[in-house]
Amino acid sequence: MSSVIWYLYEFARKSWAEKFAAAKSGHDIVEKPARFRDFPQVFKERCIGCGACTAACPAPGAIKLVRDGDNSQEEGLTYPVIGVGACIRCGFCAEVCPTDPKALECGENHLIREEFTILPVDKMFVIDDYLCIRCRKCMKACQVDGAIYEEDNKIAIDQSKCIACGDCLKNCPVKGALKGIYIANVEEQKQIINMVVQTLEKTIEDRQDEIKNLQANEVFKMELNASDLMERSLQILPKEEMVIDLIEKVTDRLKLRVITWDEEKCTQCRLCVEECPSGAISYDEEYGVKRDPDKCLRCSTCYQTCPFGVAGYYVAKFLFKGSSDDSEESVILITLKPSNLPII
Amino acid sequence: MLDALKDIVRKSSIHVCLINTGGCNGCDIEVVALLSPRYDLEQYGIYVHNNPREADVLLITGAVTEQWKEKLRRIYTKAPEPKVVVAIGNCPLSGDVFNQEGGSVYAPVSDFIPVDAEISGCPPRPSEILEAILAVAPGAIAAKGRQKE
Amino acid sequence: MILPLGPIHPAFKEPLRLKLKTQGEKVLSAEIDYGYVHRGIERVMKGKTWQKSIYLSERVCGICSYIHTQTFAETFELISGETAPLRAQYLRVLTNELDRIQSHLLANSTYFKALEHETLFMYMLYLREPIMDAIELLTGNRVNMGWNVVGGVRMDAHESHLQQIKEIILKLESEYPKYVEMFEQGPLVGLRSHDVGKMTKEEAIKGRAVGPIGRGSGIKHDLREDHPTYRDYLDFKVIWRKEGDNFARTMNRFDEIPESINLIKQVIDNIPQGEVRKKVNIGAGYGEWRNEAPRGEVTYMIETNGNLINNISIRTPSIMNIDSCAKYMLKDAATVADAVATYASVDPCVACAERVVILDENEGKKEFQGIFNIK
Repeated sequence: MSSVIWYLYEFARKSWAEKFAAAKSGHDIVEKPARFRDFPQVFKERCIGCGACTAACPAPGAIKLVRDGDNSQEEGLTYPVIGVGACIRCGFCAEVCPTDPKALECGENHLIREEFTILPVDKMFVIDDYLCIRCRKCMKACQVDGAIYEEDNKIAIDQSKCIACGDCLKNCPVKGALKGIYIANVEEQKQIINMVVQTLEKTIEDRQDEIKNLQANEVFKMELNASDLMERSLQILPKEEMVIDLIEKVTDRLKLRVITWDEEKCTQCRLCVEECPSGAISYDEEYGVKRDPDKCLRCSTCYQTCPFGVAGYYVAKFLFKGSSDDSEESVILITLKPSNLPII
Repeated sequence: MLDALKDIVRKSSIHVCLINTGGCNGCDIEVVALLSPRYDLEQYGIYVHNNPREADVLLITGAVTEQWKEKLRRIYTKAPEPKVVVAIGNCPLSGDVFNQEGGSVYAPVSDFIPVDAEISGCPPRPSEILEAILAVAPGAIAAKGRQKE
Repeated sequence: MILPLGPIHPAFKEPLRLKLKTQGEKVLSAEIDYGYVHRGIERVMKGKTWQKSIYLSERVCGICSYIHTQTFAETFELISGETAPLRAQYLRVLTNELDRIQSHLLANSTYFKALEHETLFMYMLYLREPIMDAIELLTGNRVNMGWNVVGGVRMDAHESHLQQIKEIILKLESEYPKYVEMFEQGPLVGLRSHDVGKMTKEEAIKGRAVGPIGRGSGIKHDLREDHPTYRDYLDFKVIWRKEGDNFARTMNRFDEIPESINLIKQVIDNIPQGEVRKKVNIGAGYGEWRNEAPRGEVTYMIETNGNLINNISIRTPSIMNIDSCAKYMLKDAATVADAVATYASVDPCVACAERVVILDENEGKKEFQGIFNIK
């Protein structure tokens, strides 16, 4: 009973009645602090269309680059569009944006200094100093200040600033001087490289009989259909773009040395058995002199030692010709020529 | 007259069931925060009690996982008509960061049950959830109730 | 009879199936079914850079999202052989303790909700909101903060931020004892908490209970004692109790909050000036780091090749706590209502726990199991 009286007394007070009549939500329920990361704000005219934000975004499908259609006066703008249903409001895109002022703004994240904006990309661009001709075309093409710099007469790429847009690679006039290397799936890449090299070696060794008759200045040419190679690579790593890139790089600067072995000419003099550094050549009373290709280093010592020309030594080079359209099949062109090393 | 009366009743007494179909639980605690004295969800006549059998509004807060694929539909059928489904957060809309190679989620939720309203954000602020529920739920429930009759 | 609770149940925040074996009103034993929120986070993280994975690790659990990113970052720092700048370490402690306060308040509020004590439930949430404001003020989001990076924290805290956080903390400190007393002395909550859901120290060790649940049963173990920042620069004492019932677990969480407040005050008073972030060249290798989350101990085991994560394994406290709850605490609960309250007192976080799938290769059948079933 006492509690009922207390309640009645409480409710009858004027201040309570006033408060009850004028009740409303406090201001703090909609107030957002300055740092609150809302959906990123896009400033179209500042965007350079590099794609750093799309590469950095941890949520799939949250950010997309779109391009407006051209009109008579100017080119259409390229700019990112935020997918509201997928954006997790982390503000990482605003952090990695390389423009100044930034094309994306989110909370206070776009104020973060750029020395930390390491972009999580799967491709790394490096300059091969041996092949670089220092034309500085990549420096001019680069959209980020200071990402490609010159030091001690060498051109180098600052990995922490690089946004991996690939503009430098498009402008490089020397093949192989600037490389985009995939840093993901390293083990699979190794497997593919091994497989490609072994396949090439086997193709050449299968045609030993034709190679043996080559004259000193003659060149032997053959073709290998790469579609089978591609298929097997795709089983190891199911990313077509990466596989094509990889095979092209492998064959581009690959130089295979080939040893042929003509047993008919052998007189069992056993000079080579002693000289072979890896013990790949052995002598047996029953079988005579034998060469084990698996142990062979292709060092050409036997070729230089043998007085009867049993061992032949050839150098093979390759060129990958990708299919320009679907009708053509991609092939690897193989060129083989005898070595001009002197026989001692 | 009866319709108008029913509308008023439906609009001012909404029972809500929260279903986490496989999220990080962040949206769930933001819904719990809505119950707090600051936001005070119950002043709008909304009552959260997690019982699908008497719910008017189902709040879905997760990307659909393996176990939820069939059960979600079952829970949906158990809720009485008229009912409204509100998807809270990014998980039910797009699968969020889990919807990548290797993740075992089957987002979006709209593949399994019809969704009436969507609130994006990871997680959305309580005020955003409140705003969206108030904008959609009372009207939708009243309209759906009239459709049935 | 077998009484199934869940996956959707008024007392549960998250989906989980609890099967209670009952005789009349008395609960004899309990069994737990997992697997409703298994998303395959560790598999998604594989082959990704840390910049992307840190956002995934944040989404292992929404309540203790902060500690996951800190542990993730510290594991990478361990592999690279570097430590974050001192100011960043202090800021990490500050955010961690704010997160702990809000998590403990939320856990206790859920417990009171399970007891149907709405008053304290509302009071706990009332206390929690300013803490959420403090977190949002500092980091930019209430739940998934995106605050940690390898080598420090993302942004510096302004002096005004620290002062505002201090004001919030002081206000909490002045109001706080009133609500603790309400629980400690209140006859209604007290009666339903004392001697319910008992777990002895031996059982807690056997069930691998950690965090406030283990400490409530007399295991005096807090990983913060071993953490370099806490050990070298800050003072705090480990809270523990001997009773091992619902009251002890709830009270343990209540008592840890003043310690956290104390730590935050120490941080704000002594924070050094300087950098908050430094550039880390990520090394290749394997690292393992443990941290004290609000619920116990979080372990991250990461194998990286310098750029990408080769392998990652996350061990969270909830799976041990929920399992020891089912095995020991629910063994002889007096009523079904007590069983629900006991389950809530464990502060279960199902989103944390579910990253284990056992795959039967022959049949292609998936099973989700607790640690007791894994041989």
